[in-house]
Amino acid sequence: MSVLELEDVHTYYGESHVLQGVSLDVEEQEIVALIGRNGVGKTTTLRSILQLTPPQEGTIRYRGEEIVGKDTHEVSNDGIGWVPEERRMFGYLTVEENIRVAVKPDDDFEAQREYVYSLFPALDEFSEKEARNLSGGQQQMLAIARGMVGQNELLLVDEPSEGLAPMIVDQVVDALETASEDTTMILVEQNFPLAMELADRFYLIDHGTVVESGSTEGVTADDERIRRYLSA
Amino acid sequence: MSSSDEHWIRSYGRDQFPHVLVVLGFALYPILLGVLNRTPLASEASAFLPGLTFMIIVLYMGLFAISFDFISGYTGYLSFGHAAFYGTGAYFVVLAANGQVPGVPEGTPFMITMLLGATLAFVVALAIGAVSFRLTGVYFAMLTLGFAQVMYEFIRHWGYVSSNPTEGATIPSGADMSIGVPFVDSLNFAVGRLSGDSFENVLGVGIDVSATMTSYYALGIVVLLSYFVMQRIIHSPFGKVMIAIRENEERARAVGYNVFWYKMGAFATSAFFAAIAGALFAAYAGGASPDNSFYFLVTADALIMAIIGGIGTLAGPLFGALFHEWFEDILSTESDGLSTYLEQLLPESVLTAEVAGLTINDFIGTFLDGRAPLYLGIIFVLFVLFVPNGLLGSIRDRLGGTVSKRLPATLERYRR
Repeated sequence: MSVLELEDVHTYYGESHVLQGVSLDVEEQEIVALIGRNGVGKTTTLRSILQLTPPQEGTIRYRGEEIVGKDTHEVSNDGIGWVPEERRMFGYLTVEENIRVAVKPDDDFEAQREYVYSLFPALDEFSEKEARNLSGGQQQMLAIARGMVGQNELLLVDEPSEGLAPMIVDQVVDALETASEDTTMILVEQNFPLAMELADRFYLIDHGTVVESGSTEGVTADDERIRRYLSA
Repeated sequence: MSSSDEHWIRSYGRDQFPHVLVVLGFALYPILLGVLNRTPLASEASAFLPGLTFMIIVLYMGLFAISFDFISGYTGYLSFGHAAFYGTGAYFVVLAANGQVPGVPEGTPFMITMLLGATLAFVVALAIGAVSFRLTGVYFAMLTLGFAQVMYEFIRHWGYVSSNPTEGATIPSGADMSIGVPFVDSLNFAVGRLSGDSFENVLGVGIDVSATMTSYYALGIVVLLSYFVMQRIIHSPFGKVMIAIRENEERARAVGYNVFWYKMGAFATSAFFAAIAGALFAAYAGGASPDNSFYFLVTADALIMAIIGGIGTLAGPLFGALFHEWFEDILSTESDGLSTYLEQLLPESVLTAEVAGLTINDFIGTFLDGRAPLYLGIIFVLFVLFVPNGLLGSIRDRLGGTVSKRLPATLERYRR
């Protein structure tokens, strides 16, 4: 059974018809990349799954259960985590408090904290620092860490490499690879080579629908079917 | 943090060092004022330092501003109708003292009516919140303001309150408005502008405690306890979720929190303490009127205090209140302000000297006496423009964390 299935999902922002029938599925333990130009609906797809921007038509099934119509916090408690674009920390909370807030009430906070710090030792070092005072790379690590502590089984990661120096991007890639050992992942990424390196399969989105999909094996930016949609 | 073999009182005292300092400052202030009054600096002291009656306003308005900050500063939802809860607390104790609250017999101790009034405000806040939290940002602020104005208009014309409801209601002169442990006489202290307890020659050491002083300390204890409860909530997991909502509500939902109920809880809690502040005010002032409790300018005062003191710092609004009242005091003649001082200091010839058709005396009367609101308005604008984080917020940013946590460590560094 697929972890997540989207079937003909239509989502609007006010009058604007952003997703025009997106269908995709995600299997256990894989990383699926959503690629495409700016504004084609990649982030909206993630927001639709989370019910932050609920779809008007179509179905989204998580482990076979329909989640359209649920509240965002219920979807989250079902085990879907979010690493939003631009990181969006709780800036006035410390690193540790950011993690604490993300741990579900009936989970063991100590154990979750140890788990996260073992994955990202740098965070342990800054645990008492307010998140707004961290560097971009540290914030991204915290964002990923926070997405992982809720015992989430599916992580939605939005533009993790955006605005980061190449050296930091390498660290983030390492972090995502570590994270993917324990969770299934949907990755929205502008950096095409990076997306192909991390993901097992990809969906190419254009004008609110999936236009290409398949394994990332051997796919390069020169590929005719990719170039047509990605070149400006 | 602290080594485990250290006595807990010592380590707690050190962690709370800035709090201890502030409490000591407030506790010793009346004594300092009393000592100064017996020195040649007496006229300077009464001109430039806030008198005790103003310090009492600092206490209850400070608590009101703190409760405003609790919801507005920590969840980011501006409660522009906060005066509704302050008014609820004030009117409840006044009506209860008159035996006009069904089910609350006349003579019920003030401490109990205060808590009942606060509980009523808690419930009212849940009702207002249930509607208002459907919206965010400026729409939430406008809705709460709307509800408060409806209550203001209602109370202004509610004949049940008194024969002249626009003027409000008063506490009957015989009513016992005491702060302390209910039903234990020796642990109760009557408060009130004129009717409070006074003590002569306390403990035989020649110190007289005036009625004003009794009110100051009694109110101070309630304010301190209220602050302490709110501070503990802010530092609890519940408080962290409040901050998460302020920082990014969508993200807080996506982490798995049903933010609606967290916002409702925070709103109702802040209403509870706003009502405590209102009850203290009514007990001290001996009554309440629609214009000094339910009116939207009462909320505006809390907003000004919170902005000056630092929004989202909890303790900051108290310092904002101190600043606000200090300013009011020195610019009014009610208890010897700046203008009285200048009139005594300057010789007659200077006072009557004319500059551009105005005597210096006229000038003082026009630009100083009672003009605090004018200058406070200007200061408010300057704060919003140049010190947006307020007094405490700016210090907090400089230290890189909350003042109570970071100040001891910072001072330690300078001591070496």
